[in-house]
Amino acid sequence: MSVLFYVGAVLIVIGALCDLFGALGLLRFPNFYVRMHAATVGIIGGAAVPLFGVALLALGADFLHHRYAIAGASFITGVIVLLASPAGSHALAYAAHKAKLVQRPEIDHLAEVRGDD
Amino acid sequence: MSLESQFFLLMKFVIPIYLLAFILYAVRAFKGPTIVDIVLAVDCLSFDVAAFMAILAVYFRSVFLVSGAMILALWGYLLDIYIAKHLVSREVGA
Repeated sequence: MSVLFYVGAVLIVIGALCDLFGALGLLRFPNFYVRMHAATVGIIGGAAVPLFGVALLALGADFLHHRYAIAGASFITGVIVLLASPAGSHALAYAAHKAKLVQRPEIDHLAEVRGDD
Repeated sequence: MSLESQFFLLMKFVIPIYLLAFILYAVRAFKGPTIVDIVLAVDCLSFDVAAFMAILAVYFRSVFLVSGAMILALWGYLLDIYIAKHLVSREVGA
């Protein structure tokens, strides 16, 4: 069972690094539409991947007392993050374009297709 | 070297990386120029606190932290949807 422990540990380390890089990108990128890329790295790579990693690690850990409860709940939370984050980010990007909040997007294909400016 | 001491050695490397990422997200959430930047940073922060609470549930050997993580992930989605609804139609309703 300790193979599951090591796979989960590797997934947690990958998730922590993706989280750090997503945070750096969210701080450094120039405008909102570019920052959404860093937010995707920070949410999917930095929250969904370590949640699946915690599920595998808790299944393989012999020292935990409630390991099946922790594994199942963190797997469900990972699926929730994987479904809810793209829907929320898409709604937020649509709202930012509709309310014209971002100052100067250099390329705006959506406004050209719709015919408004 | 037992499995438990290997886990605590892993946590010595993982927990400072997560805390540094929380600080960077909080900086963007405080200085974001528009409201969608603030909402996006708070969204990232809540999903990452959810993942960090699942890690802390293994660290402290407690089941109850994971149910809080589930509620926190659902709350981040709800915040996105309500702010987007308010920005599109200038009202929050059904």
